[in-house]
Order: sequence, then structure tokens, then C-alpha cells
Amino acid sequence: MTQTDSVQDDRELMTRAQAGDMSAFEALVSRHEDKVYGLALRMTRSEADAAEITQDTFLSAYQHLSEFRGEAAFGSWVHRIAANNALMRLRRQKVLDIVSDEITGPEFTERGSLAELPDSDWSKRADDKVLDDELGRAIRAATDALPEGYREVFLLKDVEGLSYEEISEMVGISIPAVKSRLHRARLALREAIDAFYKEV
Amino acid sequence: MFNCKDSIDSLLPFLDGEMSAEEEEHLRKHLNGCPPCVEFVRTYRATSPLCRKALVKAMPPEVAGRLKAFLRNKIESK
Repeated sequence: MTQTDSVQDDRELMTRAQAGDMSAFEALVSRHEDKVYGLALRMTRSEADAAEITQDTFLSAYQHLSEFRGEAAFGSWVHRIAANNALMRLRRQKVLDIVSDEITGPEFTERGSLAELPDSDWSKRADDKVLDDELGRAIRAATDALPEGYREVFLLKDVEGLSYEEISEMVGISIPAVKSRLHRARLALREAIDAFYKEV
Repeated sequence: MFNCKDSIDSLLPFLDGEMSAEEEEHLRKHLNGCPPCVEFVRTYRATSPLCRKALVKAMPPEVAGRLKAFLRNKIESK
């Protein structure tokens, strides 16, 4: 099924759900629960919080069904609700303080050259259909280890595909700050993947 | 003339297509003479797709079951 087919199917289910068809709404939930739960889990690092955020997100979506006009895809709409819910929860827990010193990146010589030369080009692994289990674990650990403010920006941009403007508005920081955090998060994750391939 | 640090610092606007023509020329000149940075650009670009694959997490079936029960309960009680 193509992405266009999927969006079209969502629209049809949405029309039925707006007319009161509960089974259509449940079908929408089934189609999007994994992505919503995955986002919430990566943002909060808590399975319990992720489950609650997923419940709140779909309940909120149901309560606002009549406001959904269909200009956006249902998936995008519900993922933004989930991201907002996760951010609100993190703010309540006051864990959004940034400790940027914890972020690692490449090291440079005094003349600005790379201090350590890469010894393997693993970029083609991104094309592999199946991800190595150990690499997956290393990436999840590195993502979880990012400071909150960096992790949320990385997840919202590179995993959820939100725009810089949307993230800036959601997180309450400037677009240049969003870009700076995204770049540093990517550098840290690249380092983690590089370290994984050096060890194997 | 860019060094490795300048090049790596400029990767985000480069990949977003938001660099000025002058800056892009500096970057391309550096990359032409710096194979390690070329490899760095490739792996930087590959980082996000690899992470997306690693971060896909299916909702456990019992959590999915509780979610549906929760929603039915909330919606039917209205």
C-alpha cells in the first residue's frame, strides 16, 4: 500500500468516525497506535507514561473529531497531539533542563581537522531492509542518553518529520536553537553508530 | 577556505539546501580534498534513517488491548 493509499484510507475511516462509527475510529487507532506509542516512549523513556500519553492522545483525538477538517493527514494530526502531550508531561516532571555538555561529537585538532579519522563507511547500512539487533539496541541507548531538549527535537524532526517552525512553536525555542540542537543530536548519534561499528 | 570543523558545522544547512552559494563553494572545495570529511558527510546523512529504523517500537499487545478498552469505556460513558 502506498502512503497516498494509506492517507486516503484514513480519510474514509475519519469520515465514518465523524458520523459516529466507533469501529472506524478503532480502526484508525489500530493503524496509528504503534507510531504514537513509539514516539511517546522515546520522548519519556517510560512505558507507563507512553501508555498513558497514547490513551490521552486518542481520547483527545476522539473528542475533537468534529474539528478535524481533513487538510492534514490524520496521522500527522494525531502525532502532533501526542508530541504535545509528551512535552507537557516532561515539563510537569521538570526534566527539560538542558545539559549540553553531555553531548558528544567529533573531536578536532587545533587547526580544525578531524582528530580521529573514520575507519569504516557504514552509510550504506541505512539501505539494509533489516536492522542489526545489536545496532538497534546501541542506537536506542544513545537516543535515550541524549539530554531531553536534544532528544525531543531529534525525535520530532528526524523521526516524526515535523517542520522547524512546528517544533519551534511546540518546544518554545527559536528556529536557530532547534537547528543547533538537531545538529548536535545527529552528531552524537553518528558518533554512537560509528563507535558501534568500530567495536564489531 | 573551510577546514574539517567548518565543514561539519555546516552540514545541517548544506543538507537542507539552505547554504549560500559562496559557503557551498567553500564546502565543496574542502570535500574535494578531504576523503575523511566525505565519509563523515555520508555517515551523518545515514544517521537519521538508521535511527528511524531502530526507534520503531510496536505497542505491546496487552497495552493495545488496554488502550481499546479505555477508549470504549470513556466514549460509551459520555
